[in-house]
Amino acid sequence: MNILKLLAELAEINPNQLEQSAPRREALENLSRFGAKALAAALPFGLAALPAQARTTLTILDSLNLFLQIERLQEALYSRALALTVPFFPADPTFRASVAAMQRHQQQHIVLLTDAITSSGSTAIAAPNFDFTGTKNGTQPALFANVFTDFDQFLQVAQLLEDAAVRAYKGQVEFLNNAFIVQTVLQLHATEARHAARIRLMRKQRGATVKPWPSPTDASITVAGKTDVVYEGEDALKQYLSNTRPVPFQLLPIGYPGTNILTQGVPEAFDEPLNTDQTQAVLALFSY
Amino acid sequence: MSKNLQNSSEEAENATPLQVPIKRRSFFMYAGATAAATTLLLSGCNDDDDEPTNPAAGTVSLGSGDVGVLNYAYALEQLEAAFYAQVISNAGFNTAFPDAAERAALTAIAKHEAIHRDFFKAAIPATSAIPALTPKWGNLNFGNRTQVLDTAKTFEDLGVAAYNGAGALIQDPTYLLLAGKIVSVEARHAAFIRDLINNGTFADSTAVDANGLDKAMTVAQVLAAAQPFITETIDGANVGK
Repeated sequence: MNILKLLAELAEINPNQLEQSAPRREALENLSRFGAKALAAALPFGLAALPAQARTTLTILDSLNLFLQIERLQEALYSRALALTVPFFPADPTFRASVAAMQRHQQQHIVLLTDAITSSGSTAIAAPNFDFTGTKNGTQPALFANVFTDFDQFLQVAQLLEDAAVRAYKGQVEFLNNAFIVQTVLQLHATEARHAARIRLMRKQRGATVKPWPSPTDASITVAGKTDVVYEGEDALKQYLSNTRPVPFQLLPIGYPGTNILTQGVPEAFDEPLNTDQTQAVLALFSY
Repeated sequence: MSKNLQNSSEEAENATPLQVPIKRRSFFMYAGATAAATTLLLSGCNDDDDEPTNPAAGTVSLGSGDVGVLNYAYALEQLEAAFYAQVISNAGFNTAFPDAAERAALTAIAKHEAIHRDFFKAAIPATSAIPALTPKWGNLNFGNRTQVLDTAKTFEDLGVAAYNGAGALIQDPTYLLLAGKIVSVEARHAAFIRDLINNGTFADSTAVDANGLDKAMTVAQVLAAAQPFITETIDGANVGK
């Protein structure tokens, strides 16, 4: 790929990357590695050329563009926090270092997904503008007015986005009928899950009632009718082997006493997906 | 083709999970809801005539096709569940983990793993499921916090890499999604255990590569790493095939 074209594309598709200067070189280095090229090569030939509207079902490209938007959203949140010149992060440097590590991963994911899309002959979806207060550029009341002045509120937004990202990847994976892409998406998905656990643990270390995994015992951080879409259906009490066959957890020899196996253990043990519409709803909360 | 479909609808009565026609909305979106695609995938789903065949003494064959992948996951979840059960029932648990919050978290993880284990036992047709495996802990000291957490980290990272590497082998989208539901919980465990060992190492370069990708390992790589902890010899040569 032509380097100048690549730079132009990177600048065009990801203006927030400019807010952090260091990772540009790293992003370029990554492009020469195995992942992005192989992912692009694995896209079914011809599928990429089809306009999305021509199909009644999701294409792999639709899924990759959805992931790209989610990754851009997260990357922008972390970039803006890391670019703050006023004191924001706690004194313990581990907090800032963790956010920086996650921002780096999101940048790598953006490069990987963008290159897969462009190398397959398509164009990455345009990035929206982001407003992490949730006012949509001042056109409605804020959901998180202090997201970049109150570190705990920032962590709440980060948790919502990381958990939503895990769920969004999970919701698409069964549509990706291509072995290499399934594996790559699972690998992206697991990184997001590590992030989500880390954000949750940071909140716990700062006194919040929350576990590394979504639990019915977590203190709610969502607003009904607005941000609650992030956890819609997450605390499912049942799993299905098929439409007609729920897993009989109540009969299984799980080996631990107490009813909270069914009401707490089971929902904790399975993370649930978000479908495309739910994922778009999460994106819309912080985009305009 | 039509024979496969007919068999599948007949077998729905028997609730053999891998052969029940998949009616989920997501399946039809995946398959494009065309008869040809549906038939093709159902044929794929039927590719599991893979009962472990007269294994050598002490050898457990995971089988082939989707059942092989489910047995593979079942074996790993058995190992994890047995490990955490031993951790929290050990007489020295309170001494090794004086922090009540850490004990509560490890107990929660023990429950998750037991639920995963028994989930797979329920998902796999009884005639194809591997038996209960016998874990082998060697010199592992369950009263030693460092040893327990290092082993937990090994198992959790290995479990995540195993699911990442095996997901693409799964033909039935219902089970691919279920694997996805489980692997992210394993990744959360892994990140948490890592942070207990060394705060901030939740996704360091030993877990996530320079493309931001969590590790993926092949069945053979995972079984080579897991085998020292299992008394029986695990044969995964046909998993997903």
